[in-house]
Amino acid sequence: MGPDFYIPMRLNEVDDSLQKEIKENLGVDLEMCLECGKCSGGCSNGQSFDYTPRKIVQLVKFNDEETLLSMDALWICLSCQLCLDRCPSGIDLPRLLDYLRAKAYRKGLRASRPQVQLFYELMLSSVRKIGRVSEFPVILQFNWKTGQYLKDAHLGLTMFLKGKLSFLSPHVKEKEKVRRLFNGSPVESRGNNR
Amino acid sequence: MRNREKTAIVIGAGPAGIEAALKIGQAGYQAVLAEREAELGGTLRQLYSSFPRWEDPRDLLDAKIRQLENCPRVSIMKHSTVEASQLHEGGFLVTLRDSRNGTTKDLHVDAVILATGFALMDLSIYGEYGYGIYPEVLNALEFEARLREWSQGSGQAPQGVALIKCVGSRDRSKGNPYCSKICCMYTAKQAGLVKDMFPDAKVYVFYMDYRAAGKEYEEFVRDVIEKKHVRYVRGRPAKVLCENGRLLVRAEDTLVGLPVEVLVDVVVLASAAVPHPGTRKLAEMFGAKTDEYGFLENERFEPVKAADKVFFAGGCGFAVETPLALQQGAAAAAAVIALFNTR
Repeated sequence: MGPDFYIPMRLNEVDDSLQKEIKENLGVDLEMCLECGKCSGGCSNGQSFDYTPRKIVQLVKFNDEETLLSMDALWICLSCQLCLDRCPSGIDLPRLLDYLRAKAYRKGLRASRPQVQLFYELMLSSVRKIGRVSEFPVILQFNWKTGQYLKDAHLGLTMFLKGKLSFLSPHVKEKEKVRRLFNGSPVESRGNNR
Repeated sequence: MRNREKTAIVIGAGPAGIEAALKIGQAGYQAVLAEREAELGGTLRQLYSSFPRWEDPRDLLDAKIRQLENCPRVSIMKHSTVEASQLHEGGFLVTLRDSRNGTTKDLHVDAVILATGFALMDLSIYGEYGYGIYPEVLNALEFEARLREWSQGSGQAPQGVALIKCVGSRDRSKGNPYCSKICCMYTAKQAGLVKDMFPDAKVYVFYMDYRAAGKEYEEFVRDVIEKKHVRYVRGRPAKVLCENGRLLVRAEDTLVGLPVEVLVDVVVLASAAVPHPGTRKLAEMFGAKTDEYGFLENERFEPVKAADKVFFAGGCGFAVETPLALQQGAAAAAAVIALFNTR
């Protein structure tokens, strides 16, 4: 959405290249969208999205790549797949967001909130090092680097007592295979690559 | 007792009237099918294609008319309008006028089926859409004729077409409060046909919602969107302007809350269905009730009965799609046959 907010967008001049690209590359057909909003209504993190999933579909139809690649929603989407699970047309929005995220990353775009960006980096660095996310070290590092030493400590304790959080890093058999996935990916090996 | 055969008059030879006359004739009673125009078929004859199967409506009509012609008990009276009616020996004495020479003829009938169809609302009240001002702003029936021209290779190929739904329907200020029911489907059909003929044309349907309640209807609309790539834009356009000889449609995309516009060559207005102007007078003639809009009203628990020995079918009751018009025609015929059998 550009600055000329009140100048009507001329739809016949909007090209549909992004929508086509998404259909061809991902098999995600946004013409199947019923515009019902079930994706947005149930989105785990929708209350913090600047553009909710249904609006993201509209942005693609408007070919507004600039907004799509710079929106916060791209980085605060949890990839929980609820939108896909609930979509009556089976539209794979998480896949679309993955695609857009990678595209944004390649263009050097990052989450506008530094903490979101930091969390991404710590998480991916954990995956790269040990083959999967190890929650406890990621949380410790995140809290340490953001200076919120006791953030969510209470929740952490409860989760630990219920066996939902381990202080030990889980063992992954073929870490090398996971590490290889990072080869040539826009997420560089150092993890913290700001 | 008279030995005259029981006779019904069917007024209006669209699909409902044709079906009614045919069934009465096939059941062994006399039917007179009175049609004001020179040709049978009513509104259906003006259509280029149909939903949900993209069939040529003229094929259906031709088949039905062939059946009519093979049914000796049905007499077809074209160019005929009903001038008067009076109660007569337990039935009606109906005066028909031949519009070609002005001669009249009295018919003694035992039952009446009104099948006068519906008309499209006069849209000249919608100055904002430029109907009657810009020649390329067409109502739905005019566009059916345009589609036929295009299919025959005449007329200029459009780069863009915008179709606006709910013009005169669901409008409590200038039009009618009701939903005309058939426009969602015929608009999808028309939009799809444009894409079939001109795949490179950009086709937009402006809608508040689409109502596709019917067998194969939802699938039909989805195919138009997903396979024929018609772009549905949610919003009721505010105006149509002229820009360099083309037409600019302004609306809000209510899904995002942003003003949008499209520049096209043809704008099609999905006009509200209204009763035929003559229906109210005919209803009065036969003692039938009409509603506040002028559509015929049925008696309680009698879906096709308008008054004693007076039945109705098709668009004169409310806008109907072709299969429903045929169903109602058959139902009205069944009511007449039952009446004739029990007396």
